[in-house]
Amino acid sequence: MARFNLYQEEQHPSPLQYTWLEFQKNHIAMGGLVCLMLFILITIFCPLLAPFEPNLQKTGNILVPPSWDPNGGISHIFGTDGLGRDILSRVLYGCRMTFGISILLVVFALLIGVGLGATAGMSKGFRSSFVNHTLDSIQAIPTILIAIIIIAILGTGLVNSMWAIALALIPQFVHQTRDFVRRELSKEYVMAARLDGASKIQLFVRSILPNMGETLVMQATLALSIAILDISALGFLNLGAQTPSSELGALLSQGIEVVYIAPWNIALPGGALFLMVVSVNIVGDGLRSALRNRLLH
Amino acid sequence: MVNILLRYTNLIIITLFILSLLSFSLAYLFPGNPIEVLTGLKLEELQKLQNQSANIAYKPEGSVLSQYGHYMSELFSGNWGVSFNSGQPLYEEIMLSLPASIELSAYALTLSLLVGLPLGFLAALRHHRATDYTLLSISVVGYSIPVFWLALILILVFSLQFGWLPLSGRLSLIFEVPSNTGFVLLDILLADIEDKPSVFLDAFRHLILPTLSIAIVTTTLILRITRRSVIETLNSEFIQAAYARGLTTRQVLMRHGIRNALVPILPLLAMQFPTLLTNAMIVETIFSWPGIGNWLIQAIYQQDYSAIRAGMLAVSVFVVIFTMSIDMFLRLTDPKRKKIERGTI
Amino acid sequence: MIKRHHTPYSIYKVLIFSFSMALCACDALITSKTDPNGIVYCSEGSPASFNPQLDTFGTTVDASSHQLYDRLLDFDQTSGEIVPALATSWIISPDGKTYTFQLRKKVAFHKIATFTPSRYFNADDVLFSFNRWRLPTHPYHKVSSGRYPYTDSLNLNKLIKSIKRLNGYRVEITLQKRESSFLANLATDFAIILSAEYGDTLITRNQQQLIDTLPVGTGPYKLSEFRQDQYIRYTQHPDYWRKNKLTDKLIFDITPSSSLRLAKLITGECDAIALPAHSELEVVRQQDNLILDEKPGLNIGFWAFNTAKPPFNNPEVRRALSMAIDRNALLETIYFDSAIAAKNIVPPTSWAFQADVKKVNFNPISAKKILQDNGITEGFTMNVWAMPVKRTYNPNAIKMAELIKGYLREVGINVNIVTHKWSTFRERLTQGLHDSVLIGWSADNGDPDNFFRPLLSCAAIKSGTNRAMWCSKEFDELINEALDYSDIQERAYFYGKANELLAEQLPLLPIAHASRYQAYRKELDGLVINPYGGIRFGGVTKN
Repeated sequence: MARFNLYQEEQHPSPLQYTWLEFQKNHIAMGGLVCLMLFILITIFCPLLAPFEPNLQKTGNILVPPSWDPNGGISHIFGTDGLGRDILSRVLYGCRMTFGISILLVVFALLIGVGLGATAGMSKGFRSSFVNHTLDSIQAIPTILIAIIIIAILGTGLVNSMWAIALALIPQFVHQTRDFVRRELSKEYVMAARLDGASKIQLFVRSILPNMGETLVMQATLALSIAILDISALGFLNLGAQTPSSELGALLSQGIEVVYIAPWNIALPGGALFLMVVSVNIVGDGLRSALRNRLLH
Repeated sequence: MVNILLRYTNLIIITLFILSLLSFSLAYLFPGNPIEVLTGLKLEELQKLQNQSANIAYKPEGSVLSQYGHYMSELFSGNWGVSFNSGQPLYEEIMLSLPASIELSAYALTLSLLVGLPLGFLAALRHHRATDYTLLSISVVGYSIPVFWLALILILVFSLQFGWLPLSGRLSLIFEVPSNTGFVLLDILLADIEDKPSVFLDAFRHLILPTLSIAIVTTTLILRITRRSVIETLNSEFIQAAYARGLTTRQVLMRHGIRNALVPILPLLAMQFPTLLTNAMIVETIFSWPGIGNWLIQAIYQQDYSAIRAGMLAVSVFVVIFTMSIDMFLRLTDPKRKKIERGTI
Repeated sequence: MIKRHHTPYSIYKVLIFSFSMALCACDALITSKTDPNGIVYCSEGSPASFNPQLDTFGTTVDASSHQLYDRLLDFDQTSGEIVPALATSWIISPDGKTYTFQLRKKVAFHKIATFTPSRYFNADDVLFSFNRWRLPTHPYHKVSSGRYPYTDSLNLNKLIKSIKRLNGYRVEITLQKRESSFLANLATDFAIILSAEYGDTLITRNQQQLIDTLPVGTGPYKLSEFRQDQYIRYTQHPDYWRKNKLTDKLIFDITPSSSLRLAKLITGECDAIALPAHSELEVVRQQDNLILDEKPGLNIGFWAFNTAKPPFNNPEVRRALSMAIDRNALLETIYFDSAIAAKNIVPPTSWAFQADVKKVNFNPISAKKILQDNGITEGFTMNVWAMPVKRTYNPNAIKMAELIKGYLREVGINVNIVTHKWSTFRERLTQGLHDSVLIGWSADNGDPDNFFRPLLSCAAIKSGTNRAMWCSKEFDELINEALDYSDIQERAYFYGKANELLAEQLPLLPIAHASRYQAYRKELDGLVINPYGGIRFGGVTKN
């Protein structure tokens, strides 16, 4: 709403706006954000964008090269794989799967992690130190090992590998939240709320949480890139998504079979994966430096 | 000092106890009979063995607690059971493959430190200038590359396109080098074989690509950690004070900068250890490196539960002891430190 | 903000220095040397044991038959004719029932760490080896699995009436009846000669099972080390009886992935590879330093229905399912046109081949109709077992199963693709737990009996090679009668009848006869595609 400004009063942007302004200054980060948006669009509108069904096999069109190749055709822009499936469609669906699942995992880990972290941060003594040590141990164990154990118990499959990755993602959110809560608890605004008689839960939800938003988003982008890399790594090792799934890592491992005659089978899924992780990381980086700049000035 | 040592020993023992419990309970969680998972032998074979000699204590009717006790005593005596798949003793298999992984990770880490630290310093000293931006952009690219894709591309280019480097294993099978230490370069130096230089060269050639695949990702991480740490150090007051005293940049760096910037890096590096190991395990499978990661993943494919049980225990014990020792070392050198700081990269 | 005066040039210097060091080192690093003293063969899997008597699968045969052992007779590598090996000559009695073999003298067995042979090969070893699979009373008959799939499926144990030692170097084998394929069977990969002395030694040590895992034979190489799923090392047998040139070492580098095998061949980490993928043959042809040999294959890849299970016991259903599949597309996709479409279970190169049998045409519409007529409605679910390994006759069964799944969806049938670890897979197949399976057969000798009998005779159900679980009296009689005649014309008549019966009943749908390929590096000399059976490294050298 337009408002008439009577005074030459400087309008102070809110912290969130300030971060956004800082972020906007960074052109690379903006590029990353656009790219990330693209992936989000693909994730949502994938069935509309993909020219073919990802698992549609056309036995007449096996290993058609991409369209820029002299032998390529226009109907399959990225060519086809060893079973005559359209690579563009498979990569699009793969992006959806990998990216969508990773976001789900991060949201899940974030909710659990913030809950646990808040509990640990608000409490003292044994309970806090128990949570601490358990998490330290989990964080010290390589993700792939956790995945191997869970998969050995439950069997290979996408859902089982998701549990493993979620478990590996939770600790960092817990640490982040706990440390943040510890720091804020001693600040005056929290003290004021406490003096007003706010309960622990109220303290956290009303006073601390609103201040945590940006840090959490930053941590979430970091977790997102880890989740993407992990889920595709497990897919690549045939421990996560199984054939004929079009998860990007699984696509890569299917592509290895024909790597000599059809290198585009590993170039394109790998490239998509790489682009996805790069854009997430660039946005995360940009966010981080924007936050840092805001706090510095 | 003694207090810290005691606390850490205590902590390590408790964690190891939990891990051993976990590994024991895995036998009940995995599909199949727990006794089979714990020993790696089929029930019929066990019965047969027991009939042959009375020494083998096979008491399926004993309480879970006594079974656990027995399991632990067997673990400590080096009897970890046998693999379902190959029938080989697991202790020996793990002692062959774990050093191979440690070796690969160690070389990759060394290489990353050698490249990452100086580049990190360089970027920090050129903060907000072209060099910094270039290095930073390269590092974003570097740590966003999926390590398995990178390994594949390296293979495609250097092994298949140019035919320069081998792509699998850690030594050509033509050469037979007895395994004493489990570290291949060391073994070659110790072994009594003909034409040592060419064997050594062969092992070195096998090392290049896997090491590089892991190191590229790790280097970028180290670069970023170092850069951040150096920038923060350079912005701190004692550095300003040093400049104020009229020291040159070089003097400031040498006398105050490097040391103070390196100290906070160490714990952050230790935090990257699990990532390094995860990457190493993935790269091992691509390069058929006979390490523990490759071994465990093959065990999963073949549903070799007894191998997974033992391998998981070995790796996690190694990781826990390693990270906790570093933690303890840092605490000992800097008693003011409360705990590892979890910084961002 | 801080001002910086100097740039630390030293960092650049260090970088430049290390870079130039790296460049110097590169030259030494990238010039790979190949060692002429050893051959590395990239094989596709771990052998089940080192005794081909116990296993018909190619991996076991490749790792043992021609490397560790010899047979009484051999097939000539180029012509495929039967030639002398451990037997120098043989006489067949006029009634065709008694065979007398004269044995070669001064043939030494392997000397290994735990056993030093005290004598040369003689008639006792022949009796020991053959009686192991023939007589249940033999001390080693029940050692290891106690199953002898090849000889059992051919009923050789029943066919042989007696084996007699005439003297140290003369053996007489008497058969129950005339059988024209007997000599060929003795030349196959499975009729190997073990050491009787080693067997006796192991009995005194109570270590009988070692006979199949720490083998002793007369072959060109002896086993020195085996690590499951990693490698097999062989060393030269210094007293090998053939005057072949042998390399010091032979190594099987176990590499299950075919693209990895090819990659290793290109980089020179392997000198020869097992089973190059059909999709990658063009790559091999394009490389200057690689050689690709080709021979029409004596094999058959098929889709077998479990005829012991309803509704697959109904020939109409089997026919309808077969009609739903476009086999030409399978040929193109899976075999990359390096195979010929199968009409019978025997390939066209065989004299038992018959072109004019009842054809199965691709016709999903009438397939659907037949299925519905036989009570199989929309939404019927069946499983297709796809073997987890690559074989010449089916280079990618899982991919084929995926294609078949697609075709059967068109006629309203849901398919579950089932695959297990290879050993489990075979075990469960033998138990008959499958609805249908994609698998195949490679012949061990040129005789057509080697296709008909192991694949579809009643006896082969028990020995575990009859994947269709099909037992037909009529068929068994036909193939038995065929063996009574030695004249090819007469035998061909009975096999023709058998072919017609199979085309009518369709216990299995023949898909393709794949060509056999051998890819190796130019440095290797003397490697030939063995017309029947496994790879042979005796006589192969490296320059």
